[in-house]
Amino acid sequence: MKPVNFDYARPADVGAALALLADDSLSVKLMAGGQSLGPMLNMRLVQPDLLVDITGIEELKRVEDRANEIVLGACITHADIEDLRVPDVTCGALPSVARGIAYRAVRNRGTMGGSLTHADPSADWLSILSTLGAKVTLRGRSGGRTIPVEDYMLGALEADLRPGEMLVSITVPKLSRSARWGYYKSCRKTGEFAHAIGAFLVDPDRGVSRAVIGATESRPIVIAEATHLVGDGKAERLDLAFDSHAAGAAIEAAGMADPIDRQTHVVALRRAIERAHTA
Amino acid sequence: MNTVTLTVNGKPASATIEPRTHLADFLRETQNLTGTHIGCEHGVCGACTLLVDGVPTRSCITYAVACQQAEVTTVEGLDNDDIAAELRTAFSKEHGLQCGYCTPGMIVSARDVVLRMDAPSEHDIRIAMSGNLCRCTGYVGIVRAIQGVITARRARGIAAIPDGNRKILGPAGSGHAVPTTNGAEPRARVSSGPADTQARAQAAKPVSRPDADWKPQTTFTQGFTVAHPVDVVWDFFGNIGEVASCLPGASLAGEPVDGHVEGQIRVKVGPIAAEFQGVADVTRDDATRTGTISGSGKDKRSNSATRGLIGYAVRPGDAPGKTKVDVSIGYTLTGMLAQFGRSGLVQDVAGRLIAAFVQNLEAKLAHREQGQGGEAPPVITELDAGSLVSSVVFGRLKQFFASLFGRR
Repeated sequence: MKPVNFDYARPADVGAALALLADDSLSVKLMAGGQSLGPMLNMRLVQPDLLVDITGIEELKRVEDRANEIVLGACITHADIEDLRVPDVTCGALPSVARGIAYRAVRNRGTMGGSLTHADPSADWLSILSTLGAKVTLRGRSGGRTIPVEDYMLGALEADLRPGEMLVSITVPKLSRSARWGYYKSCRKTGEFAHAIGAFLVDPDRGVSRAVIGATESRPIVIAEATHLVGDGKAERLDLAFDSHAAGAAIEAAGMADPIDRQTHVVALRRAIERAHTA
Repeated sequence: MNTVTLTVNGKPASATIEPRTHLADFLRETQNLTGTHIGCEHGVCGACTLLVDGVPTRSCITYAVACQQAEVTTVEGLDNDDIAAELRTAFSKEHGLQCGYCTPGMIVSARDVVLRMDAPSEHDIRIAMSGNLCRCTGYVGIVRAIQGVITARRARGIAAIPDGNRKILGPAGSGHAVPTTNGAEPRARVSSGPADTQARAQAAKPVSRPDADWKPQTTFTQGFTVAHPVDVVWDFFGNIGEVASCLPGASLAGEPVDGHVEGQIRVKVGPIAAEFQGVADVTRDDATRTGTISGSGKDKRSNSATRGLIGYAVRPGDAPGKTKVDVSIGYTLTGMLAQFGRSGLVQDVAGRLIAAFVQNLEAKLAHREQGQGGEAPPVITELDAGSLVSSVVFGRLKQFFASLFGRR
C-alpha cells in the first residue's frame, strides 16, 4: 500500500499553483488535506507525476466576513468549523455537520475545498452547502468564476474543473435569525460513507425554502423551492407540513428509480425535519 | 528525494526521503520510532494515529513532506504526558488492551477525548472513538478507561479544552515550511511508450474465457430510445467495431473472429484512470433481436480485474421509426478498484458511459441515414469532466437543431 513515486511541490500562492497545473506534459494532482486523496494514492488508484500541496498557500486558509456572507478559503478544515475557529453564520448548521464528518483525526486535516472537489456523493459538505445556497469560486490563469455548489459536482468523483482551474474559496450566505435547518444522514457505521442524506433550510426572512437529497451515488437532488415539502418556515411545527408522498414524487422525478433507495432518502429528509434546529 | 525536517517528540529529526513516504513510514523507517503502528494504511483503522501540531492525525494518509517543520508527537513522546499516564493506568486496570496493536492509536485518540470533551456519555465516547478499531478486547474496557479518567480529572477541577488548543486555520502540520515550487528534483520518469503499452497488452492476454456458471456480483439495467427504425438499429449492433467506437474510450485490437474479439476500454473517473485490456465473446439472435457480450479484462495499473456480461434487446419504440434498447449490465470487479469500489458509483459511471454511447450512436445512425459517406461525425471519445460538460452542450445543440428542422 505505497503510492507510486511522485514529485512534490509546495507553491506559495495560487498563481504558482496554477502555473504548475498548466503543465500538460505531466499528470498533476492538487492535494489539500489529502484525507480522500491519500487512500487513493496509497491504493495506487491515482498515479500522478506531480503532487501539488496547496496547504502552504495563506490565501486558501483565510476567512473573510462580509455583510451578508462569509468567504472560506478552500483549505479551511472540518475541525476549524467544528471548533468555531471560523465564525458561524449558519445558526449552527456547519459546525454541527462538521462534527459528524468521518473522525476527529481526519477532520484535523481534511478540508472543505478538498471534499467538494473530490465530489464523493456521500460527502457531507456537498449536501449541507447545497442546502444553504453556498457557492464556490474557481480560478484559472485567465480569470475566475463563481458557481453554486450543486453545479460544481458533475457526477460521482467528477467536479466541474476546466483544465488548469482550481477551487479557491467557498461563499456561504448568512442566515437570518428566523432560519431553521435540519440535517440527517444514514450510515451503517459512525463516520462511514452515508447511504442517504436529507437536509433542508427554511429562512422566512430571506424567502428561502430549500430541501436537498444527498448521497444519491451521483449529484445531490436540490429542491430549490420546497414550500410544498417543508413549508415556508413560518409555522411552529415544520414536521406537520412534511408530505412523504410529495417528497417521494420529487425524488422520483429527479431520477431515483429504486423504491427502496427512494424510501431511505425520504426517511432521511423526514428525520432532518423532525430534528430541526431552531435559531 | 526531499529532505524533511520535523520536530519529533521535542527533538529535531531529519531524513532524506521520497515524497511518497507517509509520516508513519518516516518515523518507523528513518527514526526507528516503531511505536506508531500501521494497520490498514488507508485511513480506516486508526492504529497509526499520532499528534501533529498537538492534534490527532492519521499518519498513514499524511505525507511526511507535507508536514515539513511541524511538531510531531508519537506514543513514545507521551511518556511524561499527564493524560496519557492516567490513561495507561486506566487501560491496564480496565483491560483496555490485549494484543496491543491498536493501543498507540487508541491512547492518542483517547487523550484527545479526555482533553476536549467535558462530560461525555458512554455513547459520546464510543462515537468519538469510532475511528479506532480494536479486534481483540472489544471496546468495553477502553470506553470505561476513558470515562474513568475524565471523571477523575473533572473531579480534580481540570476543565475540558474543546478546541484542543489549536488556534490556527488549515490542515494540521501545514504552514510551517517555506514554499518549494522548484525544490523537488524531478525523478527519472518511467517510460510509458509503446513498449510499455505492448507489455501491458501481453500481460493482459492470458485472460481465460468466462466459464459457464459464472454469476455477476452486481447487475443493473438501463434503457434508452433512439430515433431510428428497429431494423437499422439491430443491423448497426451487428457490427462490433462500430458499436465499440460509440463507447467512449473503447477500441478493438482487430476484427472479431467467430464472435471473439480483443480490445480495451479506458475509463477516467475524476483522478482515477483505468485501462482494461481484455477479450469478449459476442452472440446475437436475429429472431428475438437480442444479443450478449461477455467479456473480461485487466487493468495493470491498479491491478484490478473485471468480468462482465452485457445483454441487450432491441424492440420497436413508442412511436414509429423509434427503437427502444434495453441493456442489462452484470459485472464483478476485483482488485484495488473493487476495494475502493462502491457499487453505486460504478452505476453512475456506467450511466454516464451509456448516455455518451447513446449520443454517439444517434450521431452515427443519423450520419448513415442521410447517406453521407466519408468521415463519421465527431463523437465523444473520452469520458471525463469535459465530456460531461460537452454532453450538456451537445444535448442543447441537438434540441436546437431538432426544433429548427422539426425532426422530433
